[in-house]
Amino acid sequence: MSAQATQPTRESVSENLLAFLERRIKSAVAPDVDLFEAGMVSSLFALELVVHVEKAFGVTIGGPDLRLDNFRTVEAMTALVLRLSEAPGA
Amino acid sequence: MPDQATADPAAAPENTGPENTAPENTAPENPAPGNSAPGFAAPDFADQEIAAVEIVGVRTVDLAPEPAWPGADAADLAGLVTELIGDQAGAWDLDGHIPREIVRELGRAGVLCAQAPAAHGGLGLSNVDAGELTAHVGALCSSTRSLMTSQGMAAWTVERFGDDAQRAEYLGRLTAGETAGVAFSEPGAGSDLSGMATRIETEGDSVVVTGQKVWVTGAAYADLLVVFGRVGEGAGAVLVPTDAPGVTVTRVPDPLGCRAAGHADVLLDGVRLPADHVLAGAGLPLEWLVTSALTYGRLSVAWGCVGILRGCLAETTRHARTRQQFGRPLADHQLVARHLAELHVAERAATALCAEAARGRDAGGPEHVSAAVTAKHFAAGAAVRGAASAVQVLASAGARDGHPVARAHRDAKLMEIIEGSTEIGQLLLADHALAVWS
Ligand SMILES: Cc1cc2nc3c(=O)[nH]c(=O)nc-3n(C[C@H](O)[C@H](O)[C@H](O)COP(=O)(O)OP(=O)(O)OC[C@H]3O[C@@H](n4cnc5c(N)ncnc54)[C@H](O)[C@@H]3O)c2cc1C
Repeated sequence: MSAQATQPTRESVSENLLAFLERRIKSAVAPDVDLFEAGMVSSLFALELVVHVEKAFGVTIGGPDLRLDNFRTVEAMTALVLRLSEAPGA
Repeated sequence: MPDQATADPAAAPENTGPENTAPENTAPENPAPGNSAPGFAAPDFADQEIAAVEIVGVRTVDLAPEPAWPGADAADLAGLVTELIGDQAGAWDLDGHIPREIVRELGRAGVLCAQAPAAHGGLGLSNVDAGELTAHVGALCSSTRSLMTSQGMAAWTVERFGDDAQRAEYLGRLTAGETAGVAFSEPGAGSDLSGMATRIETEGDSVVVTGQKVWVTGAAYADLLVVFGRVGEGAGAVLVPTDAPGVTVTRVPDPLGCRAAGHADVLLDGVRLPADHVLAGAGLPLEWLVTSALTYGRLSVAWGCVGILRGCLAETTRHARTRQQFGRPLADHQLVARHLAELHVAERAATALCAEAARGRDAGGPEHVSAAVTAKHFAAGAAVRGAASAVQVLASAGARDGHPVARAHRDAKLMEIIEGSTEIGQLLLADHALAVWS
């Protein structure tokens, strides 16, 4: 996929995630909104979100990174993706 | 409870309970009536060319039910399973046990968690190929298939939530002959897992697990249990050896179906383990943890239901061709033929939904999460209806415990309860439909 061809930028990751969320939540989301506190994430959707992040950016999110704090906001997910894509072997 | 004798977990619980001798089923002349299809293979479809369907307009996929796993090793798996199960599934069902050696053998061959990565000793099958293998086993023996579902869920949970060291350790063991069960349910937490009360508490470099789990498939055979419970404000999963002090495994006596799958209640009385038994993802919201495991389990159960339908097709078509009433084969009576047609459609449709979810999982897309619920929901209902009509077609010939269609009838019903009941599936799917369509 094209995701791995170029190093993702903060803007490209954030835009992708906001679009994915908007498609599913049916309204625009701000990058700093706590999605879980806002009750926007059902149990199935939480898993879809993790899988989407992995697929869209070609990263693998291992056990230690599967923490709620990494997924609370678009900003947090963006930071996670950028960190994982910089990691050696990513 | 009849089987408190099994309170010592080290005492090979499945061999001690008198409750499984099934005294009413001792007819020695034919312990497995009608179980004459030891080498069950998916039938040759005369209409294979119409089984190629367009999936979401992207690619054309052949949904013929032949196992399609690559390489001779994998192709041998179906043969190996067929050989190991032989014509014993009916007898195991009556007896309530699969011989421990058979379980070990299946585990050592990697069949029980066939998707586990090759790097950790697994077969590394794709979800599509593992699904076909699951259906193959499901057609022969739903109890054995249940063990695959549990072992696969355990392996997937370790792969998903474990760190590198945990993956190496536990996937290595699960692909080398040890077996595992997965424990979510509790007396107060069935459909509503938020009622889970089991606690996983760290004390220095130990962890202490306290709680009560019920209906854990495979627990009576298991070396390890993946136990879900509360970790602080969130949830976590911990690997508990069944021989650890404080673990008591008590068989569920006389389950309605999948009788040899070793369902058991598990008491965890302050079980103290090294802290590294807790999988690394601990602290996540409960739904995250369980949804990941359940998504695996749903797809596996759905393939198992495809197997039940295939087993019923094999039995009903053979019987309808050979049994004569009113001067002609049953199949020539249109009301009987209708059962065959509906079974055929059910098997094809369930296979298509399973294949779609499995391909989605192989492709790594988020769609596979709801697709697994869809496949499980449809396949379980179809298996229940299909097995009931198979009993109808066989009539008295299939109306005996241990007969493949009688087993199918009982086994299928439980598929509407596990990994999220029919009703819970409907709630999830309604949510999904609203999110996607409204
Ligand atoms: C064969 C078998 C194998 C199993 N294996 C395992 C295993 O390996 N590990 C494990 O942890 N557990 C296992 N279980 C337990 C299983 O997960 C639970 O039985 C299941 O989650 C349902 O819970 P319950 O039986 O307590 O039913 P309940 O939750 O009490 O439900 C009773 C009925 O009410 C309905 N219901 C409940 N809530 C709602 C609602 N909100 N809306 C509409 N209807 C609702 C249910 O659909 C059901 O029909 C197994 C069970 C079976 C039968």
